[in-house]
Amino acid sequence: MKLVRRPLKSLQARLLAPLLGLVTVIWLGAAIMTLVDARDELDDLLDGHLVQAAALLVVQQARAADDDDDGIADAPSLHKYAPQVAFQVFHEGQLVMRSANAGLIPMSTKDHGFATVRLGKGDSWRVFSTRGIESDVQVYVGEQTASRNAILWAILHSVLLPLLFALPLLALGGWWAVRQGLAPLRQLSHALRQRRPQALEPVVLAAMPSEMRPMVESLNSLFERIESMVASERRFTADAAHELRTPIAGIRAQAQVALGAGADEAQRQHALQATLAGCDRATRLVEQLLTLARLESAPAASTASTAATASVDLSAVARRIAADLAPTALARHQTLELEAIAPHAVAGDDMLIGVLVRNLIDNAMRYSPDGARIWIHVATESGQPTLRVEDSGPGMTEPEMARLGERFYRVLGHERPGSGLGWSIVKRIGNLFGAQVQVSHSDRLGGLAVSVRWPA
Amino acid sequence: MRILLAEDDPMLGDGLRAGLRQLGFQVDWVRDGVAAERELASGDYTAAVLDLGLPLKDGLDVLQALRARKITTPVLVLTARDAVPDRIRGLDLGADDYVVKPVDLHELGARLRSLVRRSHGQMQDTLRCGAVLLEPAARRVSLNGEAVTLSTREFDLLHVLMLNADRIMSREQLEQQLYSWGYEVDSNAIEVHIHHLRRKLHPDLIQTVRGIGYTVLRT
Repeated sequence: MKLVRRPLKSLQARLLAPLLGLVTVIWLGAAIMTLVDARDELDDLLDGHLVQAAALLVVQQARAADDDDDGIADAPSLHKYAPQVAFQVFHEGQLVMRSANAGLIPMSTKDHGFATVRLGKGDSWRVFSTRGIESDVQVYVGEQTASRNAILWAILHSVLLPLLFALPLLALGGWWAVRQGLAPLRQLSHALRQRRPQALEPVVLAAMPSEMRPMVESLNSLFERIESMVASERRFTADAAHELRTPIAGIRAQAQVALGAGADEAQRQHALQATLAGCDRATRLVEQLLTLARLESAPAASTASTAATASVDLSAVARRIAADLAPTALARHQTLELEAIAPHAVAGDDMLIGVLVRNLIDNAMRYSPDGARIWIHVATESGQPTLRVEDSGPGMTEPEMARLGERFYRVLGHERPGSGLGWSIVKRIGNLFGAQVQVSHSDRLGGLAVSVRWPA
Repeated sequence: MRILLAEDDPMLGDGLRAGLRQLGFQVDWVRDGVAAERELASGDYTAAVLDLGLPLKDGLDVLQALRARKITTPVLVLTARDAVPDRIRGLDLGADDYVVKPVDLHELGARLRSLVRRSHGQMQDTLRCGAVLLEPAARRVSLNGEAVTLSTREFDLLHVLMLNADRIMSREQLEQQLYSWGYEVDSNAIEVHIHHLRRKLHPDLIQTVRGIGYTVLRT
């Protein structure tokens, strides 16, 4: 048979079942010990009585012997227990005295000492035999062992009977106590069940036992974290919707202008060009949003742990990205100057560092006029691997620099469309790998200078 | 009808300006909230299209400031913020209409015409003065049921006068309602258009109030 252990479902049952089981076992143990003890004592006591009774008979026989009275004397039965006690006195092999319930033959084969024998209808008797003062007298005193057992049963009864009443009472009391003790848990589960699924406010319980405090506190801190996550997600979605709707609205408006009845050829051309530019812009925005979403959904811890092991040659990445972007720069007569000769190993993921470098160079190109210079520099500065991207563009004012990197923050007055997402991406990647991103004025080229500094 | 367009996105602003011009509106385009408030405060505009996410001053703040200064120019809010609380807030702050991007140009035009109509206390979508019937949406004018061909300026001038029927409009007011930025207005342009309208429609349709301006009587 296979024993399947089913875990008890309720805490109340888990507390109550062992409690009641333990009480029963202890009580039964106590009852058994009491019984064993009582039996030993009872045996001693009753054996003592048998011996005492035998001694009395011996003394009595010694005196009666002088009376020389022939014939058997039958003692009267004086007590309800009397039929269970019997005695015989033999003199020179002749039965001279007996109790009413005693037979005619000796109860025991022993001359002296205790014996347990079967007599009459097969009842079990405890018999004590002894000789008289004169050796021709033989005395037997017997007692039915059934009477002893009856006493033992009575004791057992009186020990176990209370258990029968106590156990349900105990169960009831225990149930009540456990229920009282678990009340805060029930309150908590009730409070949780009552909440709307979207509710994220902290759980507040009137009286909270100290055991539950850590649980409720961590639950509340979880709610708090989820709430801030949901809020940032909601803000992001709203911002993203805004940023996507605007170029789409632009595309639609321009396409309708191109289709419009009153448009001349030049206007139509202009509108169609703008439509195409709008599509490019929407595409770029979608790509950036996806990159950012992927970065934000990547749990910082796991990425950081890969960051700790992986290392990338910053110079190689800068060379690769600069080569990628060079044709675009050439088309706008912008000069890309790259100084990244010696390898510089930094913590990071090849793809992500590539995204970072691309965003920096792309931003510099995007916000600088045609013919501008962009300087890309990889070096070790005071022991720290550092990437610098500087341009000869219009640069930024202090307040503008301060707000940079706020998602969707755009510097005013730029004809070139951008979402401000590039900065968010750069900052986020920097954070992932412990690199510091700083914006300042470029002394070298007069525009904006961005530095990304990895820890030494 | 002269419309102020407040939109910071270059491509969308360019497209809306071109599209609304095609539909016969005079459009001035500003790109930030401060400029929008300044221009609307001048009172020269028949209506405004206002983006909410404007730099320097948020569209809703602009709207609130305008309404606080008792400037009742009808404002159509055009925005990407589509949440119901945003809409409610926009309308409560004094927006006359709330449209979520992207919007169809023709719908935008129709909504603007409707705003202007309502702001002049007019229920029908056509304007009638005696035998002259003007249909703003179709940009059509008829005299005793017969279509009359008018130039864009003539139509706009007649539209403004009929919208403000029984009120006297000064030449300056008419010029401000008719011409967007960048147009050199000849000093006698309005007189020339009035002359043409009288010739094409009826000599007594537009009355001259000496030294003050012009008016169209409803009956």
